[in-house]
Amino acid sequence: MHLLSIREMHPEKIEETLALSLQMKKTSRAGGKLPSLAGRVVGMLFLENSTRTRVSFEQAARKLELACCVFGVQGTSMAKGESLKDTVLTLRYEGIDSLVMRHNSSGAPYLAARFFGGPVINAGDGMHEHPTQALADAMTILEHKERIKGLSVAIVGDVMHSRVARSNLWLLSKLGADVRLVGPRTLLPRHPGHLPVSIHYDLASGIEGADVVMALRMQKERMDGGLVSSMSEYAFMYQVNAKSLRGAQPDCLVMHPGPINRGLELDDWTADGPNSVINEQVENGVYVRMAVFANAFEASNGKPKKTQKKAVSA
Amino acid sequence: MKLVLKNGRILDPSQDLDIVGSVTIVDDQIDEVGETVDERGAFEVYDCAGMWITPGLVDLHVHLREPGFSHKETIISGTQSAAAGGYTVICCMPNTDPPLDDPALIDFILDRSASPEAGGVFVQPIGALTRGMKGEQPANLASLKRAGIVAASDDAFPVQNSQVMMRCMELCRQLDLPVAVHCEDESLTQGSSMNEGAMSAMLGLKGMPRTAEEIQVARNCMLSLETGCPLHILHVSTWGSVEIIKQAKFLGAPVTAEVCPHHFSMTDEDMVPFDTNWKMNPPLRTQVDVDILLGAIADGTIDCISTDHAPHAAYEKDRPFDEAPFGIVGLESAVGVTLTYLTHKGVISPLETIRRMSTRAAEVYRLDAGTLKKGRTPVAQITVIDPDVEWTFDVNKTFSKGKNSLYHGMKLKGKAMLTFSGGEVYRDALWAGGERVTA
Repeated sequence: MHLLSIREMHPEKIEETLALSLQMKKTSRAGGKLPSLAGRVVGMLFLENSTRTRVSFEQAARKLELACCVFGVQGTSMAKGESLKDTVLTLRYEGIDSLVMRHNSSGAPYLAARFFGGPVINAGDGMHEHPTQALADAMTILEHKERIKGLSVAIVGDVMHSRVARSNLWLLSKLGADVRLVGPRTLLPRHPGHLPVSIHYDLASGIEGADVVMALRMQKERMDGGLVSSMSEYAFMYQVNAKSLRGAQPDCLVMHPGPINRGLELDDWTADGPNSVINEQVENGVYVRMAVFANAFEASNGKPKKTQKKAVSA
Repeated sequence: MKLVLKNGRILDPSQDLDIVGSVTIVDDQIDEVGETVDERGAFEVYDCAGMWITPGLVDLHVHLREPGFSHKETIISGTQSAAAGGYTVICCMPNTDPPLDDPALIDFILDRSASPEAGGVFVQPIGALTRGMKGEQPANLASLKRAGIVAASDDAFPVQNSQVMMRCMELCRQLDLPVAVHCEDESLTQGSSMNEGAMSAMLGLKGMPRTAEEIQVARNCMLSLETGCPLHILHVSTWGSVEIIKQAKFLGAPVTAEVCPHHFSMTDEDMVPFDTNWKMNPPLRTQVDVDILLGAIADGTIDCISTDHAPHAAYEKDRPFDEAPFGIVGLESAVGVTLTYLTHKGVISPLETIRRMSTRAAEVYRLDAGTLKKGRTPVAQITVIDPDVEWTFDVNKTFSKGKNSLYHGMKLKGKAMLTFSGGEVYRDALWAGGERVTA
């Protein structure tokens, strides 16, 4: 089964995946026997720079004895001008069982899913979604809060360009959290009508009473584009720090999908402070991706090749 | 040779004619139009009972892709597609490679479209407004006009510099040549691939704000008022553009406007996420825009309906959404979509529908078309439309090389059954032996 977006994922399926992730972590830490996917091969098509997500998927694959082939643009025929469709078809007929895909175009994994017989896992597509990151974040929240329902979660920063935000807001609201988007007017969606969120342009009101604050990475090119006046102006208005967190719950979790610009969206004290769970997010990413692999192969009944003929006409 | 089209509902907006009667064609020219005609000596009699007999349809906005992009469409396949859609006159856009900024290229198009393999319909080229469509230097507009262009446009590459635009419009005023404009302030649309709205926010696709269109509609309307240059606004898609055009017309600017069937039948909410057959420029907007566009078609603010027929090869559309080219094919679905979403919904009458698709369109570019009056067109140009036939649009059964349509698989009501350009140039598979066959 594909994992293309959280938006299209059933809440029950989300909960199942989170439970499986927690179980993977428990088993793994206790040195127990993890499920084995030996004999299967996953292709990791990373067509945009990424270290943490790629390594996390590789680690997850390793733990499940899943072989992986990792490709970047440079290592593939795409550098010679091969289309995404043909690259995907090639991998499919070379016997790759599942495809993990990172692409800088929103929706690119949907195209891959049309031509690839087996399950396609979205590892981040443009500004659209980053489902496994949201699952890792939810797992981290669950470990600390034991629930998601009823929590207030503030997502602060460049929501407009953030696939992490677009996955998180769906996941959290599907599981019953109150999601607030906080940031300057230039970095929040101008038409949020379809998103299950409230909008806050003021950091203090957005964070008020929050159980979780997620700061998003500010990308430097956004400054050049005039979306914010300057880094110092952004930090002045939207930095998550001890002062701005005063209105939040005392045990408010501080999260960040990384990589962090220290001193910009987060200050050092907060990033390394007692409320920060940033390193746990990274760690849980591996377990979540193990669960996702297990789901992918289970749902396709371990025989993704059998679905190939049907998908040719897609 | 004499052909008789009998028992049809004759709709000729050029003479406000809406009667049941017959039309005869003698030696490729319209001979008689009336309730009773002389059928004697007819080579063929078409029984058009239940159908409309209308002036051949006129499309002011078609991309024939030749020269340069014959993998998307050729003049041959494009004209065949037009004939099958009920069009007898189409105007082709200059965004070819090289662009149509040279009289020799106009000759090429006119020659090729007159070849025996072509669809038998008339092609009226639109020349580039600026040299190379670069938006810097006006093209050789007088030479192009003598070669046969009916309007000038930089279509998909709208002139951003207002001074260049003003000078081009002064020159076109002098030549009495309509300027057709795709309105888009490109500084607001960099990297965008759909309407900016709730859907783009959800899908994480960069959106084109409606103001990007409206700013240039306003600028071009004001330049038209200032220079007196005839201005045709291509594919209007927002309610704001409608209001600006209404105001410009009120002020006396010589402005006309068109709308495409997809813009008054679909919204961004309807699109299949990341399906590139829903990607065009301007993009599908919202229900408010659709409602205002329908009103503007009814009240005449929008003069005509054009297809913006924009074929692409499958491999070009099989790309991630933001990388795929803009545009959908339209010639063979236009009648069905227009009748389904406009006429059958009671927005405008059958006579007004034909006015928007033929007579008024011809007036915009001053074409000898859009009428059943004897001797007013180079040859008889007639379309027979079955307004009630229900059919499923199958893009794989179209003549166009482009298979990029969002209407594929949709049920439509109404179809062009016969097209005459002189003689018969298209007969639909659903037409049999002069009698209507229901699908």
